[in-house]
Amino acid sequence: MGDAPAAVNEDQVWKDPGSSRIPFMAYTDASLYQRELERFFYKGHWCYVGLEAEIPNPGDFKRTVVGERSVILIRDQDGSVNVVENVCAHRGMQFCRERHGNKKELVCAYHQWNYNLKGDLQGVPFRRGLKQDGKVLGGMPKEFKIEEHGLTKLKVATRGGVVFASFDHDVESFEDYMGPEILHYFDRLFNGRKLKILGYNRQRIPGNWKLMQENIKDPYHAGLLHTWFVNFGLWRADNKSKLVMDSHRRHGAMSNTRGSGGQNEEITSGLSSFKQSMEINDKRLLDIVPEPWWNGPTACMMTIFPSVIFQQQVNSVSTRHIRPNGTGSFDFEWTHFGFEDDTPEMTQRRLVQANLFGPAGFVSADDGEVIEMSQYGFEQKPFHRAVAELGGYGFEDTDHMVTEGLIRGMYSYWRKIMEV
Amino acid sequence: MAENWTDVSTVDAVPEDDVVGVEAGGKDLALYSVDGQVYATDNLCTHGNARLCDGFLEGFEIECPLHQGKFDIRNGKPLCAPLVDAIRIYPVKVEEGRVLVNLG
Repeated sequence: MGDAPAAVNEDQVWKDPGSSRIPFMAYTDASLYQRELERFFYKGHWCYVGLEAEIPNPGDFKRTVVGERSVILIRDQDGSVNVVENVCAHRGMQFCRERHGNKKELVCAYHQWNYNLKGDLQGVPFRRGLKQDGKVLGGMPKEFKIEEHGLTKLKVATRGGVVFASFDHDVESFEDYMGPEILHYFDRLFNGRKLKILGYNRQRIPGNWKLMQENIKDPYHAGLLHTWFVNFGLWRADNKSKLVMDSHRRHGAMSNTRGSGGQNEEITSGLSSFKQSMEINDKRLLDIVPEPWWNGPTACMMTIFPSVIFQQQVNSVSTRHIRPNGTGSFDFEWTHFGFEDDTPEMTQRRLVQANLFGPAGFVSADDGEVIEMSQYGFEQKPFHRAVAELGGYGFEDTDHMVTEGLIRGMYSYWRKIMEV
Repeated sequence: MAENWTDVSTVDAVPEDDVVGVEAGGKDLALYSVDGQVYATDNLCTHGNARLCDGFLEGFEIECPLHQGKFDIRNGKPLCAPLVDAIRIYPVKVEEGRVLVNLG
């Protein structure tokens, strides 16, 4: 108890060639997890922190995380967006507890150290000491420099209303980080229209954070695990689809188009159940109202390594923020949104379709369960490994879904950065 | 504005180039003396919960002890962050060794 995790023995972690056989240790080992935080979340990578629509006005803030580190996303007086670490420069207190709000300045309650919205220290109580009986008692040393005691500032990138941040000020540009292949899908969803926040789901999933990335990189399970999809004839492995990765194979985009016939068939397909007796009462849950920005795909799931998933499932659009808190647990925050030009009917439709997602979603509840059950399996048998060999051993982009190539792609990158 | 000249202190009790706090007419005031001239402002800072009489006077600038915001005691203007709002100032006259402040 309380011991530092044993050092990683690089040669002992990954015993098989390539990236198709994933050691259970990758999900259970505390020292590997610490290395992941350092190398993926705190260095060389951009992490999702929120949407600009969550902080529309000067002083609006959202408490969020990068990896395990608490940070504050806040709109400055001049309209720009800042991200600062939620740790007071004085005694290290995580001073902000509210999830959302509006502040004129950031103040630590403990000793009232006072920062502006950029995170610069403005003043500290009794800097010059206390005046008493004609004398001045105590106070900070003369050499104490306000400028040297600001909050830790993160590098910030915004695009299409989405905010990413990095503790690493030498990180490559956000655009280079995404790569042109993935940026194409990102810009399709976040094409410059103002976003409208519809609401949140939050859940703690008792499994390793990578399992969430894998879950969305894995189209194999969708028609097998999610019987709800199958019951209503929504999932067909022969849907027109496309799997694309960035050049590092850390990010992925999985798009597909439901229905292969004409427009009318597309709109009505899925309403009749494979179980003929079952029918959905609210048709908006399943039918499709195409939107101009889709340019085809009825669904597109983007896995942006390591911190976020961007979802379009028909008319339901959301971000899913991965917030790791240990080898075997992460918090998962869903932000459901729409667009400023949505009609009230479209907003209602997006909300109805959001019932498929979140901790109790008709579909996503299954994913939380299987991630938990996978973690149990890993922990009882840490010397073993998983097999992800559907579609072979490599990781090419494909125009079908019968592959675990995106998972292998992610682990080829993981092995490289983790040096195991 | 209605005039309400109130005796708040002896002039000897206001130290030269420094600040002192007094209560008068239900108000918490800070009195300053610079070059033989007496000035009065509200005592409570417009930013944090602190009294300017515990702060440090340099020339005509009073620095709040809490977050080092500074006001000009002649006109009440905030001179630096984190201050945003001015501090209220009061007219002062000295008669027969007493400090009179117009509380309005």
